[in-house]
Amino acid sequence: MKLFNLIENEVIKMISKKRLLFVLAILIVLISVFAYGQNRTLERTKAQLAQRMGITATDDWRKLADQQLIEMKNRLDSPYMDEKRKSSLQVRKEQLQYDLDNNINPLEQSAAKFTTKFMEQSIFLFLPLLIIMLAADMVSGESTSGTIKLLLVRNVPRWKILLSKYLTLIILEVLVVCLAFVLSAIISGFFFGFGGWLAPVATGFKVLAGKLDSSSVFNVPQWQYSLMVYSLAFFVAIVVGSISLMISILVKSTAASIGIIMSTLVAGNFISYFLSDWKITRYMFMVNLRLTDYLAGSFQPVAGMNMLFSITVLLGWTIASLIVSFVYFTKQDILV
Amino acid sequence: MQQTTVLELTNLRKTIKGKPIVKGVNLTLYPSQIFGFLGPNGAGKTTTIRMIVGLIKPTEGSVTICGYSVATDFIKALSNVGCIIESPDMYKYLTGMENLLQFAAMDKQISRQRIKDVVDMVGLQHRVNDKVSTYSLGMRQRLGIAQAIMARPKLLILDEPTNGLDPAGITEFRNLVRKLAYEEGMTVFVSSHLLLEIEQMCDVVSIIKQGTVIKTANVHEIVHNNRIEWQLNDPEKAIALLKEHWNITAIQLKKNTISADVNEHPLAKINELFIHAGIALTYCSTKQNTLEDLFLDLTEGDEIV
Repeated sequence: MKLFNLIENEVIKMISKKRLLFVLAILIVLISVFAYGQNRTLERTKAQLAQRMGITATDDWRKLADQQLIEMKNRLDSPYMDEKRKSSLQVRKEQLQYDLDNNINPLEQSAAKFTTKFMEQSIFLFLPLLIIMLAADMVSGESTSGTIKLLLVRNVPRWKILLSKYLTLIILEVLVVCLAFVLSAIISGFFFGFGGWLAPVATGFKVLAGKLDSSSVFNVPQWQYSLMVYSLAFFVAIVVGSISLMISILVKSTAASIGIIMSTLVAGNFISYFLSDWKITRYMFMVNLRLTDYLAGSFQPVAGMNMLFSITVLLGWTIASLIVSFVYFTKQDILV
Repeated sequence: MQQTTVLELTNLRKTIKGKPIVKGVNLTLYPSQIFGFLGPNGAGKTTTIRMIVGLIKPTEGSVTICGYSVATDFIKALSNVGCIIESPDMYKYLTGMENLLQFAAMDKQISRQRIKDVVDMVGLQHRVNDKVSTYSLGMRQRLGIAQAIMARPKLLILDEPTNGLDPAGITEFRNLVRKLAYEEGMTVFVSSHLLLEIEQMCDVVSIIKQGTVIKTANVHEIVHNNRIEWQLNDPEKAIALLKEHWNITAIQLKKNTISADVNEHPLAKINELFIHAGIALTYCSTKQNTLEDLFLDLTEGDEIV
């Protein structure tokens, strides 16, 4: 009963701060730009193809795919390719081959495809940034403004206050992920048509010793694939939210806490390229955020990682963050 | 006795980063008392208050509110407390009313009517639906008090409550505090660095300096307003005259200034005596006790840091 009131309080604060509105606006703008850009690229590709090969891409995509395959084969045979790029190219080549064999047109765009692709591209940086915007000042904001004092001198235990904040954060994470889904499905629908949800998508790829193992590949309808992608996105949102909340508790200033988490995330994006030989990097949470890549069969930057590994690492970070958060929050002296 | 104490501090100590801030404070407060906690900035007033409401943990000693220990029975102890600590920090992006509703939601017993009554009581009824970011410090102070008394606490803790209030607001505030203590039976704990404020509001006062309570007494025992200051051309002669005729011990403050405690003696007669003795009297006034004077008195000239 009381916990519900506390959550209600937190939601009112979050809405009054206009943070959620801000996140919504960013989502709308970014999705629109992204969809418009996709549309233009698609049209240009079609025009180029028509000019170069005298075909309309949508009519005869198989020809194009054949051509691409040959190109990839040539690049793979080239002695100048370095080993790492070679194996990832190999993976893509095999995927294309699979598409050809199963008559899946890789060029055709649809709202369903776009929606999935949008989250696949957002999951490691854009989505976490949105979550950080909501989570990073949940506690540090109250420390900065001094309102934390008023919150902690009520006849409510500290753990309950923090729990209400955490549950509110989870509600917001659900909201953000759902919003991202609905908005991209609707906005991209205006560009590419609203269909495509039943088209088959291949998943179940495995990377074994740098080679794509398609023995266990199977087709699922696009909507189901989307659902998997957005579920993973929700998981990532919870992970990033938990870590952000911890930083927000440990660092009393909002600016500092946002700075710390953002730089960590951005660093994570190039750490995997520069330090891929350094085994320990694979235990960092930011290297493990591209969970959707495992579904699509893309190659992982650090060898030896798979879905189970990444999810375990991320779960570990989440649980550790929660323990640190609750212990520190209930024990700390409030001196602001 | 156990039943009637509202607040009991026993050997309360706090050391922060190796520096002792509060060095063993003992206090006992009874119902309907208005208690003043007086001390200069940095004496450990706010740190003590933070320990009372459980924002920081004492290094040593205990806090008991209405019989419940803050350390082991936090919820029950804090159910009896309303407070403002340091500054009345509110959610600036919410209206005054929304702020009060936030805190009311954390305590089931507070009704809508009670919130309205409290808003009227602190005189904020015309601005309560404006955003707190548009409030003056005085208005935020009022909102802070409203928030603190909303749940009818037995113990009301106000840390530097008149900061930012104008003279009319201070008088109003004083009346409100008296009303809360005498009509609603609240025990009020007021901290301040202003002697005048404490003197006009409180019954009992404790003076804290460098983390130690140096005196606890009835407010009238500590503050005396019968100190007179004279500016004249012959201080030695004046001091001698006072001793001789009225048995008053006067002290020389500056080159031409002396001061003494004058009780029932008519000041006019003393001045007449000075003038008859040929002393040129240029200035004479009652002197308001300052906190520094009080410290000088209490510590008998020890250095004030």
